[in-house]
Amino acid sequence: MYVDPEIIRLLAFLVGVIAFAALNAAYLVWLERKEAAHIQRRIGPKEVGPFGLLQPLVDGIKLMTKQLIVPAGVDPVLFKIAPILVMVPAIMSFVTIPFSDTLVARNLDIGLLAIFAFASVNVLGLLLGAWGSRNKYAVISAARVVSQNVAYEIPMLVTVVTLVMISGTMNLSKIVGLQLGGFWNWNIFNLSASPLMPIAFLIFFVCMLAETNRAPFDMAEAESELVAGAFTEYSGMGFGVFFMGEYANIVIGASVATILFLGGWDCPFGLFPGVHWFLIKMYFLIFTVIWIRWTYPRTTFYGLLNLSWKILIPISFVNLILTSAMLKVF
Amino acid sequence: MEQQATLDILYVAAFFLGGLGFAVGPFIIALLLAPRSTRNTKEKTKQLIECGMEPIGDAWIRFGIVYYLYALMFVAFAVDILFLFPVALVYNQTGQAGLNIGDLRAFVEILIFVGILSLIIIYAWKKGVFKWERKIYNQR
Repeated sequence: MYVDPEIIRLLAFLVGVIAFAALNAAYLVWLERKEAAHIQRRIGPKEVGPFGLLQPLVDGIKLMTKQLIVPAGVDPVLFKIAPILVMVPAIMSFVTIPFSDTLVARNLDIGLLAIFAFASVNVLGLLLGAWGSRNKYAVISAARVVSQNVAYEIPMLVTVVTLVMISGTMNLSKIVGLQLGGFWNWNIFNLSASPLMPIAFLIFFVCMLAETNRAPFDMAEAESELVAGAFTEYSGMGFGVFFMGEYANIVIGASVATILFLGGWDCPFGLFPGVHWFLIKMYFLIFTVIWIRWTYPRTTFYGLLNLSWKILIPISFVNLILTSAMLKVF
Repeated sequence: MEQQATLDILYVAAFFLGGLGFAVGPFIIALLLAPRSTRNTKEKTKQLIECGMEPIGDAWIRFGIVYYLYALMFVAFAVDILFLFPVALVYNQTGQAGLNIGDLRAFVEILIFVGILSLIIIYAWKKGVFKWERKIYNQR
């Protein structure tokens, strides 16, 4: 029987990406617990396997053997599809992320736009799950999560538009291709395009934190105010899938930040570019995300919205104007 | 070209199905492994959570979302940013060196577009959207 090599390649990438997402979800939980413990001068998980490395496995077994409860009175359809709506776009986004110049599932010409289109479905999943839960905490969280996500999508997209303007393409591999050859070529240090580029990276990073609902912007969950916010009524695997989706989204966010600003698979000194540099940069960003979560307290809700509307959006628009001026006029 | 586009769609569709499998799979495993019945004596397993009490009233009620004005502003911005994407894509592609009148016009057009867009924020700021205050009053 003849099978097209393209089909085999597709299946290989699909299995690889799902394994990558699952492993990341499992071991980022472990990393988060270890890092949180060391920041708070504890030890963290240490009993199950060396350094607690088998802890995610045990957690997985625990989640799988828990009863699937659908509380009385919830909207059963919305309640059940919400975790799936968070998970599916996260996996779909991996289709166009280039880990190295050859290791990319499909090099879409509109890759950047596709990733943001998929990422916007994430909000819908949280909103439907929280509203469908018929729980007061969850309904409050639903209102918060929507206004937070729409507020932070704008500075993020304006920053992305600025980068598209510099690169002239939305193909992620080509965007990295323009940054090769050492850290002085990376977009974060591309001061000839705009002197505000490091600040643009900071804006993108803050928006990424807010879009993935990480502290100090974890208004969706806010366990000290809203019990568990949108996830209050979810138990066992429903909760598990939400969390796998959240970690997959963090991986996507860190990958996109790496590709857009930190030169993707490029080596900082122009030597031996490859997938290892991509992973080093991505995991450094994820480490920073967790570090921020355990260092800063949660903001107030209006503080969070106003940070976006009063500071991030004006600065990102100034950056857009400055970049367009630098590209054409000077 | 045609074939490339078909492959693009095929890849995205395959990843959609793979993601669906990865999202639904854990539920199927849980369905096979998890216990069906609950050992509870007070029949409260399916009660909605309200920190241990019997829930007071329904959650599906009308309540004041004072920050809905932010959502209105977002609608304007989201559409405008959609228009900025194609502009940004071709902005740097005239191919001529040095300053010419076409380049200057492109820049001025972006300046006008973003300038008008920024008026939304200034208007909302003046109107007091960004202030934390109660916007719903009891009708007397």
